[in-house]
Amino acid sequence: MNDKTNISASANSSPLGGGQEGAVKLKINNKTVEVPVGTTILKAAEKLGLEIPTMCHNDEVEHFTSCMLCLVKDGENGRLIPSCSIAVNEGMNILTKDDEIKEARRTSLELLLSDHVGDCEAPCTMACPAHMDIPTMNRLLANGQFDEALKVVKKDIALPSVLGHICPAPCEGVCRRKPIDGAVSICMLKRFSGNVGQLEEIPADSTGKKVAILGAGPAGIASAYHLQLKGIQCTVFEKSNQVGGIILKDVENGKLPQKILEKETSVIGRLGVDFKLDTTIDKTSFEKLKKEYDAVLIASGSISEEQKTWGIETNTKGFEADSQTYQTKFSNVFVAGSALKSTKLVIRLLAQGKEAAESIAQFLSERKVVGQPLKFNSKFGKLVIPEYAQYLKESEEKNRIEPANGVLQGLTKEEVMDEAARCMHCDCRKITNCKLRDYSDEYHAAQKRFAYEERKPVRKFFTEGYTQSETISKGIVYEPEKCIKCGICVRLTEKYQEEFGFTYIGRGFDVEIGVPFNESLNEGLKLVAEKVADACPTGSLSRK
Amino acid sequence: MSNSKINTEDKSLPLGEVDGALRGLIDQIIAEKGIAKNALIPILQSIQDKYNYLPEDALKYVCEKTEITPAQLVGVAGFYHQFRMEPAGNHIIKVCVGTACHVKGAGRVYDAFRRELKLTGKESTDKSGNYTVSEVSCLGCCTLAPVVQIDDVTYGHVQTDQVNQVLNDFQAQRNKKSKKLFRTPDGNEIKGEIRIGLGSCCVASGSGDIQKAVQEAVGSQNLNVRLKDVGCVGMCHQVPLVEVVPNEGDPILYAKVKPEDVKNIINKHFEPPTLLAKFNQKVGKLIDSIQSDDNWEGVERYSIDIREKQVSSFLGKQIPIATELRGIINPTDYDEYLSHGGFKAFQKAFEMKPTAVIDLIAKSELRGRGGAGFPAGSKWIAVDVQESETKYLICNGDEGDPGAFMDRMLLESYPYRVIEGMMIGAHAVSATHCYFYIRAEYPLAVKRVNEALRILKEKNIIGKGSPLNVEIEIYQGAGAFVCGEETALLTSIEGNRGFPKSRPPFPAQRGLWDKPTLVNNTETWSMVPYILRYGAEKFTTIGSDNSKGTKVFALAGKIARGGLIEVPMGITVGQIVDEIGGGVANGRKLKAVQIGGPSGGCIPHWLSDTSIDFQSLSGVGAMMGSGGLVVLDETDCMVDIARYFLSFTQEESCGKCTFCRIGTKRMLDILNRIVAGKGKPDDLKDLEYLADWTKKGSLCGLGKTAPNPVLSTLKYFRDEYEAHINGVCPTGSCEALISYTVNDNCIGCTKCVQKCPVDAIPFTPHEKHSIDLDLCIKCDSCVQVCPVDAITKGPL
Repeated sequence: MNDKTNISASANSSPLGGGQEGAVKLKINNKTVEVPVGTTILKAAEKLGLEIPTMCHNDEVEHFTSCMLCLVKDGENGRLIPSCSIAVNEGMNILTKDDEIKEARRTSLELLLSDHVGDCEAPCTMACPAHMDIPTMNRLLANGQFDEALKVVKKDIALPSVLGHICPAPCEGVCRRKPIDGAVSICMLKRFSGNVGQLEEIPADSTGKKVAILGAGPAGIASAYHLQLKGIQCTVFEKSNQVGGIILKDVENGKLPQKILEKETSVIGRLGVDFKLDTTIDKTSFEKLKKEYDAVLIASGSISEEQKTWGIETNTKGFEADSQTYQTKFSNVFVAGSALKSTKLVIRLLAQGKEAAESIAQFLSERKVVGQPLKFNSKFGKLVIPEYAQYLKESEEKNRIEPANGVLQGLTKEEVMDEAARCMHCDCRKITNCKLRDYSDEYHAAQKRFAYEERKPVRKFFTEGYTQSETISKGIVYEPEKCIKCGICVRLTEKYQEEFGFTYIGRGFDVEIGVPFNESLNEGLKLVAEKVADACPTGSLSRK
Repeated sequence: MSNSKINTEDKSLPLGEVDGALRGLIDQIIAEKGIAKNALIPILQSIQDKYNYLPEDALKYVCEKTEITPAQLVGVAGFYHQFRMEPAGNHIIKVCVGTACHVKGAGRVYDAFRRELKLTGKESTDKSGNYTVSEVSCLGCCTLAPVVQIDDVTYGHVQTDQVNQVLNDFQAQRNKKSKKLFRTPDGNEIKGEIRIGLGSCCVASGSGDIQKAVQEAVGSQNLNVRLKDVGCVGMCHQVPLVEVVPNEGDPILYAKVKPEDVKNIINKHFEPPTLLAKFNQKVGKLIDSIQSDDNWEGVERYSIDIREKQVSSFLGKQIPIATELRGIINPTDYDEYLSHGGFKAFQKAFEMKPTAVIDLIAKSELRGRGGAGFPAGSKWIAVDVQESETKYLICNGDEGDPGAFMDRMLLESYPYRVIEGMMIGAHAVSATHCYFYIRAEYPLAVKRVNEALRILKEKNIIGKGSPLNVEIEIYQGAGAFVCGEETALLTSIEGNRGFPKSRPPFPAQRGLWDKPTLVNNTETWSMVPYILRYGAEKFTTIGSDNSKGTKVFALAGKIARGGLIEVPMGITVGQIVDEIGGGVANGRKLKAVQIGGPSGGCIPHWLSDTSIDFQSLSGVGAMMGSGGLVVLDETDCMVDIARYFLSFTQEESCGKCTFCRIGTKRMLDILNRIVAGKGKPDDLKDLEYLADWTKKGSLCGLGKTAPNPVLSTLKYFRDEYEAHINGVCPTGSCEALISYTVNDNCIGCTKCVQKCPVDAIPFTPHEKHSIDLDLCIKCDSCVQVCPVDAITKGPL
């Protein structure tokens, strides 16, 4: 189909090529394809199942050729041409990927990123060694959805309430509210989720695989929890008579009630994890486990002299393993926690257990073992004073709530809801469906490569009538500094005949997208707000 | 514009409450311009003419009364630099920062105006609301650089320390009522002709006053001489020019004429003076108050015989094709154009089959003069083969290059010739409608072309019902360099933001309103009648192997004789500089020649034997471009030149594609920190990387060529870049890297003390002065005013 048949009722919509009929044959990546006259290279490639990256293209509106991510190579002359807007010619020979094209796309992304002021993940999430999705938990708690909140927490943290008592909370250290009226009490909120949230966890169907885990400390427990949920049978060998490892010290010093630890570890036990206490593993039994089990995870704490004889390479800190995958030179042996390098930070140990579990699951299902690599993440650093007002549009001005009855008692339900509502939504709303993020990840773009000048101040605009208690899908948010000027919103609002819609204001590097005559966002988006928000390739326009 | 507010409280009046007078005015404008989208830019231009900005209420009312939506209107208003969204002062000071002005210190002149008017931050209008200061990319008076225009008054050679004088003069002049004296020759016996150059350079240099003085002198003495206004004669370094052509004897050309000299000149050739000295004096006084330049000298010394060596070498190497009849004809005099063979070419073409005309153009190997040099014949054929009832033809006169003014000169001086070229083209490709796209900054060009079109229409030579049956209209650009790019130009005529489109489809296939459209540059059109008249062979005997014919250049910068020149292709850069331009000014050494403006590059002095043709220029990293030719001497900093051009293209980027919008900005970021002495060792590598990708990845010609000035200077003057990174500007041009000191020549005259705008020089009469470097703002005023060269600019 001609890519032009869908364009809006503008005057410019005559078919390409002055109404020529017929088909065109061309080669893309050496495969021949035949398409109607006037088809763009992008669409011809689609027909071959080849996906060419593009951000400014939207099937509903005429192409615009702005992002230049869709550059492909004309095999005849080696020139790079935008595939979204150039129509095919008979006998064309197009390449959609090679090193130069890749570099073009990466450079384009890096240029866009140099003018894109926004966070993908919130700073708290990035500071959390387990990369827990804190803002989502906060929003669910603020909304009284405690069970859902717990589900979010347990995706990354196997022992929420335990950590809610003992975590030093690096997340709160970077919370953007900290310099104004105190960080959001994230740790307490997480504890509350663990205490109050109800979650029925059912492991996936058994894969038939089994894993031996040495050590029932935080790394071992976490790893067992995540593996068991994936249908992988875990047996945890612990030399002492208790589950908890380093966490037990916090029970002893009174920071963590014994029953909390018992409650959360027994949950894991109920998933089917087999804890074998009072069991010491030595070189001989290790060799045996290696054979009997599909994989072994060593999470038994700082290594002993005896362990150095197990045949795994060591360094001054502990066992040698890949820092991303935790895999050792024996492909079925993984190491996590202090056995790699001594640490007392429990959340880091939990994180490593989780990540090692992911690697092991990849290994057992014969996928490439990559661990849990961090996705591309845009970040812009600290807020400056005038920007707080922008961020507070999403929250309330209110001091941090300290537990009335002491730290051990924690926050009440009402306090939790109020405190969670202090969260300023630093995370991007398009965190999982932002093309800029996805392509930056795919093309390994470096966010700061061309960050030559001071960043622009960030702003947030909302459609009016928004209150915290409304559901997430209501209303629209516009964050101009995340905009990549693709103009999809301009063309969509024109197509659907919004009275005001969006337009370009100014030109060149300083161009902005805005509602004409300084009208409000509500005036600009009366008809197709959600369509426009969904079509935005970045988090610049999003649903609330 | 950048502070667009979304949720703002200050809502203006609802549409219904717009002030009645404003409504009436806008109704009238709309009635004249129409209600369709393509009327948008003309409507906005009319509103701004009335209000000197675009009042929001007026704009809302336009949306209410036309088919134009708020999004279209605001989008377009914000795209073109001509439009102001805020009220401006009563008078607008335009400081030209074109290339020639830039190399002569226009930036400091602009700063001086801002200081004088006490403007801070982003302010551009002074507290009293009297003056608004703005930079403009080129006023086209390169030979008078640096140039400042206040409303309609142009000041040339403005130095930073003259800003106050200029403003005073402007005020003084405003209070005078201009004399409207016009003398119609009434005698039968005409003793001769007096020709007055009225090209922009001439007008800017005061030829309007000369014209008045001549009229006055002729009128008061009842002389029987013919007065004639002629277009540009190309000797812009000698303006204002007056040529006296007695019936007997040789014509004499007087250069740099002062109004008070006029009477003497006239008397010398015609009647002895009969007027009262009193009147003489009166004229002199009036002129004195207008002319702030005190370098004028006596008339005799400036009378130049056109056959003298210098001038004949100036004109001798040149071949006037586009500028044929230079200095001979009155631009809008139809009969005179006819008498010099005008419209013969069209007649000849009109009697030929269209395809034969196209063949002729193809055979002439004429290549587009707009920059890229695309063969004109191929373009014409491409339009001709399209089957369409409607075809458009465009004369691209959107000359935006900051160092070029060829198109302007051609349109101002030879409107009929350009029109004739277009008429031939229209016949050849069966165009049904023609447009001139002329920069709004060229009001005189618009006026002259308009006048010529009006006359031709009256005579039924053009227009519906004429034998050719083609309408020709003028469309005024609104201040966007990118609109010189043909796809952007066309979308601009349609009433849109001037965003370029990817090609194909080419305008020849799908152009204006999707119809086949032939776009050629002004100069290209003006070559066409010559080819028709003299044949393709004659044209191909001029020029080089791959570039036939001539090229018009605006020769400016550090050259002894600047101006418009028309040279055969194949002439070398060195020949232009030495033989036509008379070498570098002030006895300095040639460093490089910048050709092609923001899309072009620098040719270093050791490559002066590079010949001017499309291939050889691009071979050395330059480009024909539109024809700006700026001579740089040993005192010019090549990093600053690169930064200057890049900042121009960066500012003019439309913002559509990533590589141009952000790539040029990041390149500029690097150059800015290099000239600020904050360069890093990796900067040159990064700069080259960005330049390379901006070239490869940009959508249109603007972005694809924007890195050229940087790449060519990096290629030939890399050591200068490296020196800057090491903290030294070898030519002492980059403010951040130099300081001012007083040397032993100082005689303690205190002139510098009085000129220093920041009191950085203590008042110590008869003693050697000193400069407090903490206070010094490096405005250069002291250097300019010092009578004994006692101020040294040197490295930090």
